[in-house]
Amino acid sequence: MVRAVPSTVRITAFLFVVLTLVFVLAPLVVVAGVSVSESQFIAFPPTGFSLRWYSAILTSGAYLGAAWTSLKLAVLVTICATIIGAGAAITLHRRRLPGAALLAGLFLSPLILPTIIFAIGLLMLWSATFGPVSFTALWIGHTVVALPYVVRTTLAVLAESDPFLEEAAATMGARRWQRLVFVVLPQCLPGLAAGAFFAFNISFDEAVVALFLRTPDLVTLPIQIYNQLEFSPDPSVAAVSTLMIGVTILLIVVIDRLLGIQRFTGA
Amino acid sequence: MSSSTDNGVVGTPTLPPQGVSTRVLGGIAEDATLSAPGVFLIVLAFILPIGQMLLLSIENAGGGLTSEHFTRFLGDSYYLGIVWRTLRLSLLITVIAAAIGFPLAYVMAHVGPRLRLWLIVLVILPLMTSVVVRTFGWMVLLGRGGLVPFTLWKLGFVNRNFTLMQTESAIVIGMVQVLLPFMTLSVLGVVMKIDRRLEEAARTMGASFLATLRTVVLPLAMPGIVAGSLLVFTLSVSSFITPSLLGGVRLPVVAGSIYEAATKTLEWNFAAAQSVILLIGVFLVLLPYLKLTGRRHG
Repeated sequence: MVRAVPSTVRITAFLFVVLTLVFVLAPLVVVAGVSVSESQFIAFPPTGFSLRWYSAILTSGAYLGAAWTSLKLAVLVTICATIIGAGAAITLHRRRLPGAALLAGLFLSPLILPTIIFAIGLLMLWSATFGPVSFTALWIGHTVVALPYVVRTTLAVLAESDPFLEEAAATMGARRWQRLVFVVLPQCLPGLAAGAFFAFNISFDEAVVALFLRTPDLVTLPIQIYNQLEFSPDPSVAAVSTLMIGVTILLIVVIDRLLGIQRFTGA
Repeated sequence: MSSSTDNGVVGTPTLPPQGVSTRVLGGIAEDATLSAPGVFLIVLAFILPIGQMLLLSIENAGGGLTSEHFTRFLGDSYYLGIVWRTLRLSLLITVIAAAIGFPLAYVMAHVGPRLRLWLIVLVILPLMTSVVVRTFGWMVLLGRGGLVPFTLWKLGFVNRNFTLMQTESAIVIGMVQVLLPFMTLSVLGVVMKIDRRLEEAARTMGASFLATLRTVVLPLAMPGIVAGSLLVFTLSVSSFITPSLLGGVRLPVVAGSIYEAATKTLEWNFAAAQSVILLIGVFLVLLPYLKLTGRRHG
């Protein structure tokens, strides 16, 4: 009989996990707390309860403009990254192309290389080629950052797919495009969908590329928050931040339903 | 003679040799088409910008080649101080993240699947929240009158109400929270695969719980800890949003200095040279990481 884990260890482990979770979640809880404060000043614990900062951001041109930019950007990035990522993941899974390992490295490299290095390179190249940065530059930049996530989730799903289905379809006389559309793509769907939500989240929350490529007219929500934090933070920043946390929670739930969060983490 | 008989067989499943090779070529052509948009995007919008940056780092005002930007950075004690601070803090952040991340991942691997799912969601939630939002939370917690300094004051550890903002401690606290999920998930992936019977065997043979943890689990979890540490270290060395908001202008880090040069003083060549130095540093650290993960997947 294996000796049980001593109860002191159990209690220590329990306390440790609780403390760690408090540490990890504290900033988010604090932000949400500040957002419902009645006070003019950022204070935690909040004094009183009021939704005035939420109504403040809903009437603020700066926040609404940034939210619109972020939303438009995230949707366009999601569409592009998902379509491009689907093709990339399918070819990486099939391993028919010569230099497949190099290709895999290419598609996943934005995940490994620090974003700041890519962001500054993009700013310099864009300015040298096209002049001032634009929405398109930001769109391209975010698509590059989001692409590896789509590729990874789709590859994870394809790894568990049945390799003989496509062969069976070929034997039955299905043409190449028919096999792709009716056999391979449907198998990718859960991974693609999860990847799409990841791409949306990445683009919506991304701050490094957006900070380098910002102009007075090109400000995303995280950058608007960053600007406020640098100069004049008030509880309205907390209200916007809380809404962004809400969006993140929603996306995690959706991704978990589609793919299982556990599977994505490789655990 | 015999060939004509073969051709006469109805429904022969074998394809002629040329058919096979065109089929292979057709498959390659299809895959090339499918991956072309991705290759275009990465080459034009990722590789090329980095190439442009490399070029700018060795270009002087007249367009000729120079190493002046590198010598300016590496010959100035101010910038070397920034490098030293970045390395020192990143190392500290990595060690703390590993010290918290390993036991956390171990517990996560040993609880039931339902609880594990909840723990994973709670670890991933901050990971997927914008870094700006999380840093804002720390600004509230660490600032004057914030919960952390206030509690320390009331508990008697310090003799006055103070602020932790604009200190290296603030940077370390904020960065550990931002990067801990990467460490936890890296270690969890490896710990989940450790054969539970090895631990049981050690316990049956009389090893205490902690001895088992130290002599059986820790060595087997090492690849995950190393991979997580390299990830946390490189992310930490190259981040600037959290350090600049929590540490302020008096405590610049390398990435923050790059940002200043690129967007405030507009010295692009100098910013590019600093980026190249950061890139080389990250590569030196990442090479063993890529080897590690490559072996695990390949």
